[in-house]
Amino acid sequence: MRPVCHGQVASYKEMNISNYIKFVFIAILLVSCSNDDTEYAPINEPLEFVNPTNFPQATYNFEANPPTKLGFELGKKLFYDGKLSSNGFISCGFCHEQAFAFTHHGHQFSHGIDDLEGTRNTPPIQNMAFLNEFAWDGATNHLDLFPIIPITNEVEMGETMTNVISKLQSDPDYPNEFQAAFEDGEVNSENFLKALGQFMAMMISSNSKYDKYIRNEEGGNFSELEKQGLAIFQQKCNSCHSTELFTDNSFRNNGLPPNPQLNDLGREEVSGASTDRYKFKVPSLRNIEKTAPYMHDGRLGTLMSVLNFYDAGVSDSETLDPLLKNDNRLGIGLSLEEKNALVAFLTTLTDETYLNDPRFAEY
Amino acid sequence: MNSKIVFTVVFSFLLFSSCSDDDNDSEELTGSGEVSIKFDNGFAGNDLVLGATNTANTNGEVLTITRFSYIVSNFSLVNDMGEEYVFPKDDSYFIINQELEDDNIVLPEIPAGEYTTLKFGVGVDQEKYLQGAEGQGDFLEKAEASNMMWSWQAGYKFLNFEGNFTSETVTEATEFKIHMGSHGSSLDNYKEVSLALPNKLRVGDEIDSSIHLKIDASKILVATNNIQLTEKSVIMVDEVKSPQIAVNTTEMFVVDHLHNGDAHD
Ligand code: HEC
Ligand code: HEC
Repeated sequence: MRPVCHGQVASYKEMNISNYIKFVFIAILLVSCSNDDTEYAPINEPLEFVNPTNFPQATYNFEANPPTKLGFELGKKLFYDGKLSSNGFISCGFCHEQAFAFTHHGHQFSHGIDDLEGTRNTPPIQNMAFLNEFAWDGATNHLDLFPIIPITNEVEMGETMTNVISKLQSDPDYPNEFQAAFEDGEVNSENFLKALGQFMAMMISSNSKYDKYIRNEEGGNFSELEKQGLAIFQQKCNSCHSTELFTDNSFRNNGLPPNPQLNDLGREEVSGASTDRYKFKVPSLRNIEKTAPYMHDGRLGTLMSVLNFYDAGVSDSETLDPLLKNDNRLGIGLSLEEKNALVAFLTTLTDETYLNDPRFAEY
Repeated sequence: MNSKIVFTVVFSFLLFSSCSDDDNDSEELTGSGEVSIKFDNGFAGNDLVLGATNTANTNGEVLTITRFSYIVSNFSLVNDMGEEYVFPKDDSYFIINQELEDDNIVLPEIPAGEYTTLKFGVGVDQEKYLQGAEGQGDFLEKAEASNMMWSWQAGYKFLNFEGNFTSETVTEATEFKIHMGSHGSSLDNYKEVSLALPNKLRVGDEIDSSIHLKIDASKILVATNNIQLTEKSVIMVDEVKSPQIAVNTTEMFVVDHLHNGDAHD
C-alpha cells in the first residue's frame, strides 16, 4: 500500500472565521511521503498555527519546529504521561489541569513527587507561543526548553532527561510514534522537546467574551458594568497587563509584602541582580476567573482580594514598581464600585472554548 | 663524500617530501582531513589531579579540586589567507570533563588548508538557546551526564569548578563551588577565545592533524580578575563575579604544540 501524502493544511472549525489571519507554514511532508515501501506508515501532515487577529505576532519560531498532526499528538501524549516522572505517576497534566486553564486547582503550591511541595503557584499554560520568558522569574526564555525544569526538579517530577528518554526508548509504542512524527525519527531529547513544544505552542485561548467584543463577533455583547470595568482596566491596569495577552512580558514588583518563610527573590534568582529582587513576571489575566489562587505564591484567594490588595495592601520597597507610587500614595486607588466593575470585566476573559477544547483534553 | 651516503640522503629526502611534511609549504593540500583538539587540564604548570592538593595561588589559597568540567563550542579555524572555516554549529558543542577523562574532541571533514588561528567559545551562546529544541540532538543528555545542567533553569552550566580550599584566614578545609553560565536572558556569559597557532596547522586528504592545548585551571580565580574564595566560596549566579569568572576562564587556554599529519592519540 502506498501512503498518501497530505500536503494540505488541516483546518479547525474556528479557523473558518473570516477575520483570522492565516499563517501557513511551509508544509513539510514528513516520513509518510518519503517512505514508499513501509507498509502501514502513519500519515503525517502539517498543522496550521492561526494567529488570532486581535493578538500581536507570535514569538515562537514555528519554522524551527513546524507543528504536525503526529508531532502534536505525541506532545499531548507526553504531556499526560506519568512516565516523565520518577514515580511514574506525576504528569505535566497533574499540575496543569485543563478545566482551570491548565493550573493546579485548589493548590497554592503545587505538590509533585512524594507530595513534596514547591514554593510557587502553577501558572496557566495558554498562549505560550506569544511569550518570550517562562516561569515566574524567567528561568528560561524558550518554550521548548521549559519541560527540563519540572522534569528535573526534585519536588516536581524528580527525574533526569536521560532516564526519561531511555524509558521512552524501551516503551512498546513511543519509538514508532517518534518515527512517525519526526523526519529522523529518533527518540532523543531534541524530538521529545519538539513534540512537547508543538503541543504547547498550539494551545491558544482567544475566544473569550472579551475577544468577541473586540472582534465584533456574535456573543460579544458587553453589559454596562463590563464596559465600565474595561475602561477602568485600561486606565489603571494595562500599563503592565498590556496587549491582548494582558502582559508586557516584563518582570516587576507589584508590592506584595515578601513572605519571610519562602524568601522568594523572584527575578533576582535568575539574574543575580539585587535590582531584580521581588520582581516577578507580569502574568496574563486570561481565564483569570478559573486560575485562583493568585500571585506567584498563590496567597490571594479571590479576585476581590487582589483588588483590595492593589487598593490598600501594596507595600513599599526599593524595587516597588514606580507605577504603583503615584499621587503620594502606594498602590492603585479603587472604589467598591470600580472593584465590582473590574471583577465583571475580568470574568469576560474566561474562554469556555479553550477550557473544553478536545484537542488539548486528556481523555 | 661517499656515494652511498649521498644516495641515502637523496633517497630519504625524496621519501620525506612525498609524505606530508610540516615544512613543505609548496605542496598542494586537497580534499579534507580531521582535526582533533586535546584539552590537557592542568593547574599552575602541574597536572590537574582531582582530589590532590595544589600549590597555593597568589591569594594564598590552597585548592583541592574535586570536579572540573566545561563546555566548549562553535569551533572555527582561520587559514593563512584570513579565511575562516566555521565547523557546523549543531555538531559544535562539546563537554570537557576531568572526572570522565573526556578531554579530546574531533572535528571531522575540515577542508584542506593551512590554518593559523583556532577560535571557539566557552559555554552556550544565546543564539543556540533561542533555537530551542532544534539542533539539540542528544547534547542535553550529555550535559546531564556531566552535571552541566542547571535544573532550576533550563540552562547549561558553562563551567563546574568544585573542591575545597584553605587560606591564611580559612584554616579548616572549606568547600568551594563555582558554577558559571548565562543568567537567563539577562546576562550573557558566553565568551569567545581566539588562539594563534605557533606554526601552521596542515589539513587535507589523509592529513589528519591535532592541536594540543594546555589548560591552566588556576586562571579561573587569578587572571584579569582576582577572585578570592576567602571572600565568597560558593559563586553561582552572581551579577558581578560570574562575568568576571567568565572572562578569567577564557584565559586558561594556551596552545602547547601541534601535530601535523599525525593525529594525537
Ligand atoms: C508539580 C507540579 C508541576 C508539574 C508536574 C509540572 N508543572 Fe509546569 N509549572 C508548575 C509551576 C509551580 C510552575 C511555575 C514555576 C516557576 O515559576 O518557578 C510551572 C510553570 C510552567 C510553565 C511556564 C508558564 C509561564 O507562564 O511561564 C510551563 C510552560 C509549564 N509549566 C509546562 C510544564 C510541562 C510541559 C510539564 C511536564 C513536563 C510541567 N509543566 C509539569 C508546576 C508543575
Ligand atoms: C506595576 C505593574 C502592575 C500594575 C499596574 C498592575 N499589575 Fe497586576 N500584577 C503585576 C505583577 C508583577 C503581578 C505578579 C506579582 C506576583 O505574583 O508577585 C500581578 C498579578 C496580578 C494578578 C494575579 C494573576 C495570577 O495569575 O495570579 C491579578 C489578578 C492582577 N495582577 C490584576 C491587576 C489589576 C486588576 C490591576 C489594575 C487594578 C493590576 N493588576 C495592575 C503587575 C501589575
